Formats: sequence, structure tokens, C-alpha cells
Amino acid sequence: MKLLLPTIILMLFQAGPGFSQVAVIANKSVPLDSLKKVELINIYTGDIREWGNGAAVLVKDLKPKGPTKKAFYKFIGKSSSRMKSIWLKKLLSGEGDPPEALESEEVMINSVANSPGAIGFVSQSKLTPNVKTLLVIDE
Amino acid sequence: MAGSQDLGSRGLITILFLLCLTCPVTDVNAQAGEKPLRIFGYFQNTFQHQTESQDRFIDGVFVDNWDNSENSFTAQQLNLFFQKDIDPKWRAFVNFEFLNNFSSSRQQGNASLEEAWIRYRANSTFNLKLGLLLPTFNNLNEIKNRTPLLPYIIRPLIYETAFREFIAVEDYTPQRAFVQAYGFLPAGTLNLDYAAYLGNSPNVRTLEQEGQSGTDSTDTFLVGARLGIRYGELKTGVSVTRENDNQLDGAFDNPDLRQLAFLTSGRDPGNASASRFREVPRTRLGFDLSYYWHGLSVEAETVSFKVQNESELDIERSFYYATIGYEVTDEIFIYGSYWKTDDKTELFDLDLATADFKIPTVGFSYRVNDRILLKAQYASGDLEGTEVRVNAAGTEAALFRATNKFNFFATAVSVRF
Repeated sequence: MKLLLPTIILMLFQAGPGFSQVAVIANKSVPLDSLKKVELINIYTGDIREWGNGAAVLVKDLKPKGPTKKAFYKFIGKSSSRMKSIWLKKLLSGEGDPPEALESEEVMINSVANSPGAIGFVSQSKLTPNVKTLLVIDE
Repeated sequence: MAGSQDLGSRGLITILFLLCLTCPVTDVNAQAGEKPLRIFGYFQNTFQHQTESQDRFIDGVFVDNWDNSENSFTAQQLNLFFQKDIDPKWRAFVNFEFLNNFSSSRQQGNASLEEAWIRYRANSTFNLKLGLLLPTFNNLNEIKNRTPLLPYIIRPLIYETAFREFIAVEDYTPQRAFVQAYGFLPAGTLNLDYAAYLGNSPNVRTLEQEGQSGTDSTDTFLVGARLGIRYGELKTGVSVTRENDNQLDGAFDNPDLRQLAFLTSGRDPGNASASRFREVPRTRLGFDLSYYWHGLSVEAETVSFKVQNESELDIERSFYYATIGYEVTDEIFIYGSYWKTDDKTELFDLDLATADFKIPTVGFSYRVNDRILLKAQYASGDLEGTEVRVNAAGTEAALFRATNKFNFFATAVSVRF
């Protein structure tokens, strides 16, 4: 019984960063090892569509409005509806296509791992070695 | 039917229909890197209730008035896009637009080819569009007809083609260009946007001896540019265009106008030649600002338009709009907006005509899902116009003035497919 309170506190302490740390991941073909916030925003708003080697950027998004998506969108300073509006403008201007919205973080990792030039985001606890991490978002 | 690029014939419908039918097999001949032809678009249907009244005066004395009320369902707009990625660097894009229940058999509505361009994309810093395109000018010009993007049903004055009878909408912003280079340059946390374009001066004047219908026989160019800065969600820019105007060419061939000029200025226009107002320089200057913060959005624009030919002709037009909106939820957006135009034409230092339009408006939109947007809008406006005319006897000039008031309520559904 004496150990219960410290155990709960420890669990909460560990669970907190686990849920709120989001990793921006990329396919291993991407010629970058890190990414600045402003570059990430330009990629997700469709302004940057090529990597440094000229290969196309394939942007991936998450469908569920869970804590990972919430933390990622908060980091880039956009609401879900704002992002939809930005992408719709690109689509209807003939300037770009909306990102593929994936069902889960597991699907996101597989999709990024298997699509050259792909970029996405998952919670850090879900990371696997078949993708590279470009940025870790600490919230 | 209106517009210089009308395709008002059943042939157009037939061609579009055949294109739609052939779409699924277009990648039979696809080369490596080619993607299948994509067909997509949107339409907007509206119900509008409008009341309007007008009082008319001559030299300050009331003459008559009228009022009118209308209720109307309308297929306001349908746009059909054809998009083909030829390879990762090249994209072809065609935009057909149908307005107001287009019907060629009933000779109503309007069908036009709005865009037909091919884009070369080197990278985010340099893109080149070649072909018929909507040039970048301020914030709204490129997307003024993208109804799923806009919360409005009636768009801010100079962007609303339905106001063409009251406002010289084609004059305020450049309507089309044929070459445009654009992109942005990252500079730390700033993005520097640029666009520069080239097109025709705006007058389609088919010379009789040339006789090639539908081509623009002006021999001068439209040159324009926008320079902008983006910092986070703050976006601002300055736009400018320069071209030549032939619309008032031969104005003094009108005997009433010759007499008017003589009566009001004491100056005889003389033996006015057809070239008197040919290729008069005209300029536009625009400024745009937009900001978004936690669901709150602010957008504003100004446009200043000027045609000037020494001391004989001076046309000045200006437009302002500002919209404040708020995303109540991911689905609901509410806004209030104010639009204003001032229009003045001077001939021989005489105020020949003026027109001032003021419209405050409020509205909201509800996003049912990613493809369906419901809208409602209320607007109440005032239009005051004056014009100096020669009386029936041709001996005196008189000031005609009309004041219009109107109220407008509309609902719409905008559907993307």
C-alpha cells in the first residue's frame, strides 16, 4: 500500500511524456537527418514539395483526432479546419493535392517506410527502426 | 450570353461529355511518370431573396422612383477541372466555368474557358505557368471563383461577376494573363512571395480588316506583379499592374459627349480623331493583408485603379474590403465584412460620372463534411451614381443622380466532387 502512491506518480510521470512526444518521421530515402519547424510548416502547407535532391515530398496525415495529431497540429500552429482550408486552396488552384489521411499510427509508419519521399508523424513510443526521425516535438 | 470567351454552343457540352467518357482509359497511352487525367470540380446552388429601390433626380429635383422584389433559385456556378500530371515537373490544368443556369438553347447563362495552362515547376522558388491563367493580384483574385473556399455567396464587389452591370469588375483586377513566373524564397522564419506576369491589354478589339473573331487585336501588353511576405499566419503583399486602355477610343465620335464637353468646359474637342484615347496608360495598385490566430481570421484588401490621359481624361476607381471571421467549431464559420467602391470619371476636368457602392454584410457557413458546405448571407447596400448629360435640346448640361438601396438574403450549398 505504501508503494501505491509513488508507483502512480511514477506511472503518470512516465506516461505524460510518452503521450505528448511526437516524432516527425520520414522514409529512409529522404536526404535529411533533421528538419526545422519552419521547414516542417512549409512542407505541411504544401509550399515545399521537393526534397533537396529533387524527389517529391509525400505528405501523410492522420485521420483520428487523437493526442498525437493534436500535439502535431498545435506544434505547427494550425487547427484541423485551417489545414483543410489550406489544402483545399492548393487543390482547387491546381497547385497540389491534399495529404493522404491514414487510419492509425501503425499504418502511418508502414506507409512512410514503404513510400520513397514520404513524411509523417507518430507518437515517439510507436517508433520503429524502418523510418528515420527528423524532429521530436516536446509538448 | 456575356464575356469575350463564351463557348455558348452545344459543341462545348458534347466535347466535355466525350472527355468525361474517355477519362478512364486515358492512361492506356501513359508514359513513365504520367498520371491519369483527373477530373474534378464543384458547383454552388443558391436561393436568393432581394429587394431593391431607386430614386432618381435631375439637378437635385426628384423625378421618379421604383422598387422591386425578387426570389430566385439559381445554379449559380459550376466549375469543371481537368488536371494531368505529365511528369513530376509538368502539370496541365483546364478550368471550364458555367454561370447562372447555363443553357445554350435558351441563350442564357454563361460558359467560358477560364484557365488552360501548363505549369513547369523547378522547385518552390521557381514555377512557370504558360497559357490562359488567372493572374496573382492581392489575395482573392486567383481564387475568386473557387466557391468551396469562400464563405461568401455574393463575393466582395469587384470579385462578383453578377455586379458587372453596376461595377466595372474587369477594370479593378486583371482578369487573365498568359505567362506567369511565381514562387517563394525562404528567409529565416519569413517567406518572400513573388509573382510576375504578362498578358494582353484588356480590350478585345477585332479589327474589321483582320477579321479573326475572338482574338485580341491590341498590340500592347499587360504587365503585373505581386510581392509579398508571410510570417507564420500573417500574410501581406503589394500588387501592381500596367497596361493600355482603348475602351474610350472614339468617345468624341458621340455628338452628345462632344456637346457636353463644349458646354461644361468651354473647350471644343476639335476634330476628334479615333486615336484620341487609344492606348491610354492605366495602372492598378493593390495591397492585401490577412492574419489568422486561433480561429480568428482577418482579411483586407485595397485596389486603386487609374486611367489618365494628360488633362483630358481621368478615371479613378478604388475598392476596399475587410472581413473578420471566426471558426466557432471545425465546421461552423461566422463573419462580418464591409465593402466599398468609389468610382469617378473626369473629362476635361468635369466630373462626368461617379458611382459609390457601400455594402456591410454578415454570414456563416457550415461544413457538413469535406465536400459539402452550406452558406447563408445577408447584405444591405447603398449605391449612389451621378452622370452629367446634355438635355434634349442640346443646350444645357444636367446632373442626373440615382440612389439605390437593396437588401439581399441568400442561402447556398457548395458541393465539391
